[in-house]
Amino acid sequence: MAAPLALLAVISFKDYQPGRGIIDEWQLGNYTRFLTDRFYLDVLWSTLLTGAGVTLLTLALGFPLAYALSQNRGWKRSALYMGILMPLLTSAVVRTFGWMILLGNNGFINRTLLQAGLIDHPVRLMYNLTGVIIALTEVLLPFMVLALDAALLNISPSVIEAARNVGGRRTRIFFRIILPLALPGIVSGSVLVFSLSISAFVTPSLIGGAQIKLMPTIIYQQAMALLDWPFGAAIAFIMLFAIAALLIPALALIERRSRLA
Amino acid sequence: MHDVSLSMLRVVNGVILLYLLAPIVVVVATAFGTSPYPVFPPAGLTLHWFDRFLSSPELIQSTRLSAALGLVSTLCATTLGTLAALALVRYRFRGKASVSVLLLSPILFPAVVLGLALLVAFTRAGLAQTFSGLVAAHTVLITPFVIRLVMASLAEFDSSIEEAARNLGAGRLRTFFRVTLPIIRPGLLAGALFGFIISFDELVITLFLAGPGLQTLPIRIFASIEYSSDPTISAISTCLIVAWLLLGVPVYMRFLSVHRA
Repeated sequence: MAAPLALLAVISFKDYQPGRGIIDEWQLGNYTRFLTDRFYLDVLWSTLLTGAGVTLLTLALGFPLAYALSQNRGWKRSALYMGILMPLLTSAVVRTFGWMILLGNNGFINRTLLQAGLIDHPVRLMYNLTGVIIALTEVLLPFMVLALDAALLNISPSVIEAARNVGGRRTRIFFRIILPLALPGIVSGSVLVFSLSISAFVTPSLIGGAQIKLMPTIIYQQAMALLDWPFGAAIAFIMLFAIAALLIPALALIERRSRLA
Repeated sequence: MHDVSLSMLRVVNGVILLYLLAPIVVVVATAFGTSPYPVFPPAGLTLHWFDRFLSSPELIQSTRLSAALGLVSTLCATTLGTLAALALVRYRFRGKASVSVLLLSPILFPAVVLGLALLVAFTRAGLAQTFSGLVAAHTVLITPFVIRLVMASLAEFDSSIEEAARNLGAGRLRTFFRVTLPIIRPGLLAGALFGFIISFDELVITLFLAGPGLQTLPIRIFASIEYSSDPTISAISTCLIVAWLLLGVPVYMRFLSVHRA
């Protein structure tokens, strides 16, 4: 695992010429090519933006679900858990295929909206970022729910009960007690979903098609279609660097909080 | 007031669960529809697409390949993973913390980057586009899951039982098979099962490493839905969804935190 990555790092500093292959000479060309080209910087930017959007959406949708999961016991909890396990046990390819059937111009969503008279012509939901975000949020939601559930389970119901008994209102209890106690789960779930969504390949390439270019899809394209391994490797390391730059502060935050607690 | 917000939460969660399960429902429903491409809701009822799957030599061959790859990789991963977990729990050695981070890192590591790194390394080693190369890659991917689950079983294990067995005259091997193995069996089985499912479903790394003769089932599905839409894919997906549910849910319910609290 470490050796292939070291080799990949070495390759990222080499040059590739079509027909001649990899040129054995050290240079920084792949990195400067990425960082000075508007096109590639836009790809990086939209990848980070997609990741942020998906993370916020999974957080918003995952919280109510995780809260209900942590509050229920016995068969109710098991039943709810099943609803999260089923997608988790189904591969991203299969679930993305389901979204392709739902989101197409002739798909279920557009036909329903047309029949209801809410729209005159199909809304484009495939081959754009909207569709990618809709599907990717669904694909990654179970991870967020499980991370939040792990944190929320540690909140004893008697704490909430006590707050209610002394007259705390629901919103106040939520913001002053539940949210702060759930913070480790929020951070670890967000870290997980964010890094999984910026490095996701299957859903963006199927829903986004050739038009939508994100970091993982251009790495694949450079390496497998254009055979430019050095440039693909450089993009891979820029992506790893972007993930690390965002994750290390977040992980440090969790560490500090757990030490304070 | 209390009841109103509680039923609001129920409604909200119902909608979120619907969103989470929508692609799975759609895939399963379209597998039984009579139209020549997957439409939801399906018209008519037929088993034709399952027949198409089971009578296609290429698809059956791909299923066999994925099963063989999953079995061999799981066997390697459970052996390596158990040894690593025992070493990590039992022995103190220099750099233990960094070794555990390294061993567990593939879980969070972007599959596209790992795929490209292994492609570069395996091409040099002559392992690219071979079955052994795929086994090596999948073993790297799933061993961390085995390590985690075996370590979890070991955490509750009092190592003085082992000492007692040794003091009573059992040899090292006998102690391992008669004492240690039965205790870690739940974690080992859960790790092996999830390892097999992950390997069977793995697409991204396999895309980088598989040659023309090594079309696993996920690769066939991916290639097929990239440019067209065929209910046969829905039928295959339905088989996978049902198989993983039957295998995965009991294990999840027994060994992981479903019933906690």
